[in-house]
Amino acid sequence: MSHHRVVVTGLGTVNASTAGGREALAGALALGRSAIGPVRTFAPTDCASRLAAEVDEATLASLVDRDAARRLSRICRLALGACLLAVRDADIAGGPGLGIVVGTEHGDFTSSRDFAQGYLRRGPGGLSPMIFPNTVMNTMASVAAIAVGAKAPSVTVNQATLAGDLAVARGARLVADGRAAAVVAGGVDELFEDVYRRLSQMGALSPMRSRAPEGCRPFAADHNGPVLGEGATFLVLEEREAARARGARVVAEIAETAWGNVPTPPHTGHARRRDAGSPVARLLRDRAFERCYGAGNGDPAVDDWERALLARDLGAGSSLLPPVSLAPLFGQHGGLGALRVGAAALDAERGAASVLVHGIARGGCRTALVVEPAG
Amino acid sequence: MSRPGSPAGRPSGRRPDIVVSGLGVVSPYGAGVKSFWTGLAAGTCAIKPITLIDTEGFRSRIAAEVPAEAVAALGVSRRRSRADRLALAAAREALVDAGLEGPARRRSALLIGAVGGGMLEGEDWYWGETRGRPSGSLRALRSILPLSHAETLGWRLGLTGPKETVVMACASGAASIALGADLVRGGVTPTALVGGVDALTHICFMGFNALKLLDPTPCRPFDRDRRGMSIGEAAAFLVIEDADHCRARGGRAHARFAGYGMTTDAHHVTAPHPEGEGMIHAMEQALADAGLASSAVGYVNAHGTGTPQNDRAEALALRRVFGEGGVLVSSTKSLVGHTMAAAGSVEAAATILALQHGLLPPTANLEHVDPEVPFDCLPGTARPAEVGVALSNSFGFGGQNVSLLFEKSAPRD
Repeated sequence: MSHHRVVVTGLGTVNASTAGGREALAGALALGRSAIGPVRTFAPTDCASRLAAEVDEATLASLVDRDAARRLSRICRLALGACLLAVRDADIAGGPGLGIVVGTEHGDFTSSRDFAQGYLRRGPGGLSPMIFPNTVMNTMASVAAIAVGAKAPSVTVNQATLAGDLAVARGARLVADGRAAAVVAGGVDELFEDVYRRLSQMGALSPMRSRAPEGCRPFAADHNGPVLGEGATFLVLEEREAARARGARVVAEIAETAWGNVPTPPHTGHARRRDAGSPVARLLRDRAFERCYGAGNGDPAVDDWERALLARDLGAGSSLLPPVSLAPLFGQHGGLGALRVGAAALDAERGAASVLVHGIARGGCRTALVVEPAG
Repeated sequence: MSRPGSPAGRPSGRRPDIVVSGLGVVSPYGAGVKSFWTGLAAGTCAIKPITLIDTEGFRSRIAAEVPAEAVAALGVSRRRSRADRLALAAAREALVDAGLEGPARRRSALLIGAVGGGMLEGEDWYWGETRGRPSGSLRALRSILPLSHAETLGWRLGLTGPKETVVMACASGAASIALGADLVRGGVTPTALVGGVDALTHICFMGFNALKLLDPTPCRPFDRDRRGMSIGEAAAFLVIEDADHCRARGGRAHARFAGYGMTTDAHHVTAPHPEGEGMIHAMEQALADAGLASSAVGYVNAHGTGTPQNDRAEALALRRVFGEGGVLVSSTKSLVGHTMAAAGSVEAAATILALQHGLLPPTANLEHVDPEVPFDCLPGTARPAEVGVALSNSFGFGGQNVSLLFEKSAPRD
């Protein structure tokens, strides 16, 4: 069965460096300045980790109207802000043909905490019916769907490290299969004190109990863990002919997508574990790329595994190793994968022949998206 | 600003036929498809007083729990979260039922609808910590996310195909079946293990209590006096497969997966569209996807939660699609509760078994049918009926609507 071709026609991002459409992202990437700094929104006392890449509240407030801001949790505002920027960038309206796919790793834990605290402080009478719906991870998708009028499928995927990559891949699939004419797809996560503290306690964040200084240094000899960021990045994906027919400004084409699993125990990564014959391995076989973005974020388990998998699939001597990581600029968060795809689309728009956006996560999820100039 | 128009529609070329070749269920009746079907066919309501959660001070104190002895006998390590244990047992049963082994099994996709993750265990830790009485290990938090089920199953079952955790509230399980079917239909993989799981959690129980959506007595979908739903827990998995692939390896089909529809209300975060607009479109899309007229459908396994709003909107939508009394309708939730993320796959399994057995499960506790529900909702007792095509509806918070269509296959050997 043939598939519809899928192009990127819009981009919206709200991250620690910038907020805006394709020009804003291109500017932040060209500047190449890291947004990682000391945590500002809470005091990370008793934490070995003290760094993060945070979105400025004033920036966020400027993107979502005051009424919505009062009603919505922070992570919903992040998702909504980026979705609105993306549909504006694509100059597209809602309707029965517009879908949405949201990827997130942690969802709205702030609301879960607030909801539980109500009970712990005041018993059943302290439970807020207003907060409860936010504890379900699809709340960001439902808020965004209402705001942009997306009535085609609205899907939320939960995934560590690769939430944004997987959401864009799934969104492209919905368009390719004819389930939606266009899909707003991307990822979101917020910096939440409780998650930050627990991950730091578990040694999941830099400096991971090592002696090297805290910091995000993907693929470096002294890498010692990821630094958390926050934000949302969404792409508008459209069926190519429909996009052309409505005169959309096409950025690039999502030429191929694949995702699979490398069987490994939960939360672990093993540089020796392989996935021969998996969808991603099949996609990469005998393919040439001009540039490669990776999910490496400074976590040695992820960095080493990604390098080993790509060395096998692209060749140990490939000039694309190690892949380009954007984690040092924006911090690790659920929107980062979509941001990588956005960066690849901008590369393709500038003429890069074929850009690979690759990812591997602890627990074994592996993704690959091939982005090419729109033909 | 321009609208994207309608979806471009089905891509050209031959469309592979898809069958359901394996089923696995852990339900409030116990472990296994056999006990599930026995309970449904007998019309046994499994909604009872809650044992897992302190219910003091709450309006509703009942739920449909998987019996403790059944959980203990699942053969899954007690170190895993309750939800992981339910999921792993149901998934294993589905794979064994499908007879899927070797490379065909390894290449399978894995799509799991989930919401609560390992929250039940995470809550214990968090509550103890917050009250200054730390208990248990920080490790409990590692499996708190919904994605933990896919990680556990992907590893334990050795699957290398596409892996996804789909969170679409109460439509999660149905959505995982639909999205998995697209992967098979698109030739990405010949087989997919798809389904949903949720264990009871404090946050879910408390949340629906706070919303006043729980009936203090076992739920009564489509009843004039209905007062809300009853929550439950379960795991259910299907193996869906390219029909040619299934035939070539000597597999057997429970049913044919005929098509699906998936829409969003884009109306309200918790309430369904009052006229059931998104529900109507989901059912119409499913029929169009399958190339069937509404008259071909003989039975609808309704979302049927028992809440005044849902049942009213669903009845309106059913009337628009099938006409008054145009189809037989029942709600599995009246028997095993609303099993949240698992509900869509539990009810898909019920629908398939109904087609296979020529017996439609009843709506329990239904005494006075709501005059706004102009359908035969099969009160109390299962009804023999040879139905060729059946539809399973799942709707969720966020205005998520999924309708799945199944068609009867030739009898199994």
